[in-house]
Order: sequence, then structure tokens, then C-alpha cells
Amino acid sequence: MKKMISRRDFLKLAGAGALTVAGVSALPQFLRKTLMAEQVVMADVIPPNLYFAGTDGWMHLPETPAIPPYFPDNLAPGLADGYPEGLNSYIFGFRNITGMTETQKANQKQRAQHNAPLFWVDQFNGTNEFRLQLTNLGLAMRPDLTDAHTLHWHGFRNVIPFFDGEPTGSVSVPVGRDFTYVFRPRDPGTYMYHCHVEDVEHVHMGMTGLVFVRPLLGPKFAYNDPATEFDREFAMFLSEFWAEAHWADSHIQLPDWTDYKPDFSMLNGRVYPDTLAPNGSVDPFNPVRDANGDLIAPAGRPELQYQPLSALVTCNAGERVLLRFANLGFREASMTLTGINMHVVGRDATPMKGRDGTDTSYDTDTILIGAGESFDVIFTAPAHSGGVGPDTYVLYNRAYNRTNNLSGDSGGQRTEIRVYPSGVAAQQFPNDWGI
Amino acid sequence: MRTSKFKWMRLGLVALFVLLAAGPLANTQSASAQSNPAVGIVCTNGPTFNLSTGTGYIVLSDANTMFMWSYSVTGGAFQYPGPVLCVNQGDTVTVILQNNLSEATSIIFPGQENVLANGVPAQPEFSGGGDLISLTKTAPAGGTVTYSFVANKPGTFIYESGTDSKKQVAMGLASVLVVRPSAGANFANNRPDSRFTPEEEFLALLSDIDPYLHQAVEDGVPFNMNNYHPRYWLLNGRGFPDTIADNYAPWLPNQPYGALARIHPYDATLHPYPGIERFVNIGTEDYPFHPHGQNGLVIGRDGNAVEGTGGEDLSFEKFAVNIGPGQTWDVLFKWYDAENYSESNPIPVTIPDIANQSLGMFYSGSPYLGVMGPMPPGVSTLNQCGEYYIISHNHALFQLDAWGQVMAGPITYVRIDPPLPNNCP
Repeated sequence: MKKMISRRDFLKLAGAGALTVAGVSALPQFLRKTLMAEQVVMADVIPPNLYFAGTDGWMHLPETPAIPPYFPDNLAPGLADGYPEGLNSYIFGFRNITGMTETQKANQKQRAQHNAPLFWVDQFNGTNEFRLQLTNLGLAMRPDLTDAHTLHWHGFRNVIPFFDGEPTGSVSVPVGRDFTYVFRPRDPGTYMYHCHVEDVEHVHMGMTGLVFVRPLLGPKFAYNDPATEFDREFAMFLSEFWAEAHWADSHIQLPDWTDYKPDFSMLNGRVYPDTLAPNGSVDPFNPVRDANGDLIAPAGRPELQYQPLSALVTCNAGERVLLRFANLGFREASMTLTGINMHVVGRDATPMKGRDGTDTSYDTDTILIGAGESFDVIFTAPAHSGGVGPDTYVLYNRAYNRTNNLSGDSGGQRTEIRVYPSGVAAQQFPNDWGI
Repeated sequence: MRTSKFKWMRLGLVALFVLLAAGPLANTQSASAQSNPAVGIVCTNGPTFNLSTGTGYIVLSDANTMFMWSYSVTGGAFQYPGPVLCVNQGDTVTVILQNNLSEATSIIFPGQENVLANGVPAQPEFSGGGDLISLTKTAPAGGTVTYSFVANKPGTFIYESGTDSKKQVAMGLASVLVVRPSAGANFANNRPDSRFTPEEEFLALLSDIDPYLHQAVEDGVPFNMNNYHPRYWLLNGRGFPDTIADNYAPWLPNQPYGALARIHPYDATLHPYPGIERFVNIGTEDYPFHPHGQNGLVIGRDGNAVEGTGGEDLSFEKFAVNIGPGQTWDVLFKWYDAENYSESNPIPVTIPDIANQSLGMFYSGSPYLGVMGPMPPGVSTLNQCGEYYIISHNHALFQLDAWGQVMAGPITYVRIDPPLPNNCP
């Protein structure tokens, strides 16, 4: 992006780069008015905590059986195009480009990931506001579509429209431009985020991810309540894939959304058994990339290069494990955990408490999670049975027609919880296996 | 019982109303010529109601028209949805139903007990062969039936056809009954913590339409309900953008109820009580309604306060209010200006040059409440006084569509006006 020299830049060049609020108010009145309009405050002095890009890309889903003509997508790139084998599904998505060079940034066009990068933020303590810069790399497959993008933090209370990312009530980010969202999150819990431009399309195409807020009480608590302490945490992000709609976008067609019929239901952007494959680069604050800035595929799974988030849960017997669910599919999911009780400690980033403090948390083996809802559940890993290897428990969508990969057996929104007698190391980041 | 729309028509004031209404964002002041507010719930007050079933047409977001059945005030024009009936707790409610359809129909009142039909306990009707043909006493084609009950429980309820319900309700025979508590009309129920701001009482009535059913009924041919597949999803009987038009917008003659919410920011002294949204699902699918910018506090469901047997508060906040078919949810909400950003307390980030932003049609041109900023040449805004528009919509996003036309269906906005006094028209 070509950057124009603005009056603000000129002032900075002139040695005014350290202007602060106090500095502005010390200026003569006639000058101050002009400067305030241009927001010469902390502008550009504070780097963003994260820098994301919106673009298009490709991902992998199991190819049997095919859904002609929609899936697998005949326009998917392959080795000759500098992509891995096995990509077959066109997506829109976000990428984390924090710290990239301009060349690396530009390289990420048509290299989106699904789900979007997981990230987390500390509860606002008066000073630690969170800045997320967003740019729009455009859509390589659809140069005719000059869609803007935004980042809507779904569930953020009392937001002003300017930072809400809802394009009709505020602003969105055109191709080649940048915008910085500033968040002061006051309410811990699990949320989600997505692009809100043409949101039926951009959400379904994959510009969706999970974000959560850590409470002031500490990083090992779900809420500001000692009863929500945990040892490990795993994001469980639910989304869906309707092959016809994805094919339509790569083939310059429009689907009739009232025909909506998801062919795949995904957990962390993958379907079982791919949900068990290793993590790629998950920690957005310590990203791992190749020299071009591209994602590095999970070990042994080149086709999952753009689906970096594993859904496998690993833990030691007796540990408390927090599962953070968020659903940005369009259908309800009924997530069942066999053999272990889940304790619901939060919903929609709200601790389970009445206004008078009444404890409304509860035990269940199944959570019914609607489109746009989130749940925080904690389970205690049972004692190990004593056999060889971990004990395995299955977490799956009890709506069985959403738990297959077309082939009719044990796919979709399904993963495993593996309980080891000991030896699973402390997590370095959420969804870290520790093994 | 009043429905002032029909009074203006008699007075020939429709043309005057067109002049007075400033379009979809007309405010309460400009609507002072009518007794109904431009935004907010429109009550037809009881406790005695003369209702008729009838047929008519509504307009949808893709400019299609749809044949409907609905309830209307007897003697009044066709409307969809039917009148929102409002009564007080303890009232003996009487509904005299005149059936203008060519088949038997009825009304059930889910949540009400000891309903009488023509003075005797209302009972299901069975065919000679013992098949259930109606959940309650019917009025035959061209006939009448009178229901009555004591409204013992405060809250939000549905009234709907109990006869061939799968078809008749889908055709439109369903609407809302609000029972005001003894505690007062500005309470949702009898809990002191259910108080709300009366000017900020809103209805979100959700429904869906399969056009092939409606066509079949209009043509008098059978329709297999196993094939029911909604193509339209509606909010207060309208699809976006009609949802944000005023109540009784003249270009929607049969769809009187708007869904725009208009509020002021929370203020501990000037505006201490929240607004209320009464969510009602008369459709066939789950409606996970997502209000941006505020969580709804769910304090009532299906006419019951969300509380324990000892009065413990079991209310809960939601950013996705997931209402199932036949459910009603009473949800308090407010918007709190958490940061108080203003020109003198600016947002801590550079606002990109105006040429580097895509500007929304409701955006004021400024991040600040009550401030209008510059717009690029050739770009206009519907914003009037720097008010905020925060969207509120179903998150089953395929429902935001009118049979292939996107950005339709159950979408509305919460319009947040600057604190009073302000410059808003």
C-alpha cells in the first residue's frame, strides 16, 4: 500500500512525534482544533498487539464422496502453483501477519486459514488496551469482488460502532487499506470474531474465529471466580461448510442462501479424524512461519497447512480442563462428551451467576450451542484406568447427521480427549498438547 | 379497544402522515399526530377484544407479495401479524373471534389456565372417528366463538390457531399477548428488578414463510407440510429493511409493526432503567438472535420470571438469545457508554483518512456519539444527529435472506441517541 505523507507525518518528521494528549492541549487554540480533528494523539506510536489480514485461500476436506460439481473444487491450486497437494475448498479468511515484512504480507494473499487465528486478551485493568490492526489483501480468485473487510468482536459489550466492525453503522476496510481496532475488554469469557461485511457470505466462507478474555484473577481462571480455576484450556470452534456456496464463490456464482445445507460440520476448522492431527502455529503472539511468511503445515499433514488448530485434548488424570466452545455455524450443535461430566461455568462470556449471586452453574454431558453462542465448561479428567497409553473419551455433535463427512461414519464435529496417567507437560498456549 | 391506524384512514389523514413521517428513521416527535409511537411496541388494549380471521397480502424484502391469513380487529383492515393484545394481570380477558375463513379455526392461549370457550371449559375437538381435529373449541367458517380467561401470570405470551395449526399458524394465525404485572406497566413481572423504561419497550416477533404453502392455500390445493422449507424469515411481519420503518409506515399498509429500537445510553440518574425486548417465536426454526453491543439479560421465559422457588435470581446474560418455536423470552438491555469517547477524549488511534475507509449508510462520519463528521463527496448518510446504529440480527445467517436476496429477513438496529438534551430531530 502506498502511504501518503499526511500533515501528521510531517509534524512527526518535524520532531513532534512524541505528542501526547497533554502536548496537544498545550498548543494554541487555533492549532489544537485542527490537530484534534486529525487525532494526533498516540497515533502510530503504539504498535498493534496483533496485525491481521483478510484474504482468500484454500483448505482441505475429505474428498470421498465427491459432490459434483461443487466438491472437490476443480479450481483448487496444487504443487505446481506453490501449494500443497490436497487443497480442495475455496475459503475467505484471516491470517496473522504481525511482524511481517511488506513482501511477506503481500505473499499471504490467497493464503487464508480456517478457522481464523485464535487469540486472547487480558481483561482491561485501566491501561492495557488491546490493539488489533486489520488490512485487506483482496481476493486473488475474485479480483472482481472488491469487498471490504472488518473484524467484528461478537459479544463485546457496549462497543461503539466505530470499533464494532458492522459496516452499515460504521466503517470497513477497503482493499489495500488499514484500520486499527482498540478494545478495552471488561468482561472475561469466551467470544468469537468474524468479518461482518456481506456477513452471510464472509462468515460462511470462513472469516471466523475464537477470541477470549482472561480475567484479572489470573491466566488459569475462566472468570473472576476461584471456582473456575483450570490446568489446561482448549478452544473448540464450530463452523460449517456448504460445498455449493464455496464453489459458487470461486466460480463467480451466487448461491441462494435459503437453500443452505451444510455438507461438513467442522471443529477448529477440521473434520474428524483430522481434528486429531497436530497443531500448526497456534500462538498468535509467537507465530512460526517459513521465510515467505507462510504457515508451516502440521507434522506429516501438508494438506492441513491452512487449518492449523488441533482439536485433540490431552491432559493428565485429575487435571481440570477448560473447554471454550463457540459456534459460528448457522445451525445448532449438540456437543456430547461421553464418560465425563462437563461443568458449565459460563455462557456467552457471562459467569453462571444470578444478579443476586445465585450459583447457576450445572453439570451436563451435552451442551446445546446455537449459532453465535459460546459455552465455557470445565471437566476433571478421571483417574487413569491403568492400561497402556491414554484413556480416550469422545466429544462429538450428537446431531449425528452433522457428525459425518458425507461418507456416513464418525467424521464431522468430533474429537477425542486423551487422559494420560501423568507426563503431559504444562501448556505453552491454548490447545497445546503438552506431549 | 383502539387501533388508531383506522381512525386516521377515516379522517383522510394518510397524506398528512406521509408528510409527517421522515422516512424509516422518523422519530417519536414527528409521529405525534398519531397516538401510536413511531417505534416501540404497539398495544391493542383490552381486556375485551373483537378479533377476526381474514386473508390479505404482505410485501417482502425482494418485492414479492405473499398471501397470508391473520387476525385483525373486527371491522378493521387486514394486518400481519395480528394485533398485540395488552391486558393487566388479573383482568378477565375476553376474545370474541369472528371467523371469516372458509374453514373452521380457533385460538389457543399457551400459558393461560382455565380458558373458557363460550362459557364452558375449552376442550379439544375430535372427529367422529376419534381423531384430534382442534386443540380447542372452533368457530366454523363464518361463525364465532368467545374465549375468556383470567390473566393470572404477567409476561409475554402467544395466541395462535389451535386448528390445523401446522398450516394455519404457518399461514399467519399467531401473535402476541402481553400481561402487565400488578407491580405496574413499567415492570416485566412482579420482581422489583424487572423494571424497565416504558419508552423503550420493543417487540421482536419472529416467523418464517414457505411461499409454496401460501401459494397452495391461495389456490386451494393441498400442500404436504413435510416439504415445508422457509424462504423468508420475518421480524414483526416484515423483512429488512422494512423492519426499521416506523410503525404504520404507509407503504406497508398491512404490516403495521416496525422493529427499530430507539434508546438513550444508560445513565445512573437520568436514564437508570433498561429497555425491554419481548422476543417471540411463532415460526418453525430456532432463531438465535444476536444484539450487537449489549448482552440481553433474560429475565422471563414463556411468561415466567427466571427465578428459583425461593425467589433467587436465575436471570442470565446472553449475546445470542436463542428462541425456540413457541417460546417467548423477556430480555432487558441497555447500552452503556463505557469509554465516553468524544472529541475531547478521543479514541486512542488514528482515524484513517476518509478516502481509506468504506463508510456505512448509517455512519455519522465520526466515532463520537452526537457528532456528525465529514462525508466524502457523493456519499450521503441516513444519520441525523450523530446517533449510533448498532445492528441486531439472527445469527443463523442463512435466514438473513429473502429467497435469494441477501441482507433481508430478521435484521434491525438499536438506534442510540445522544443523551438528552440533544439535537436529534
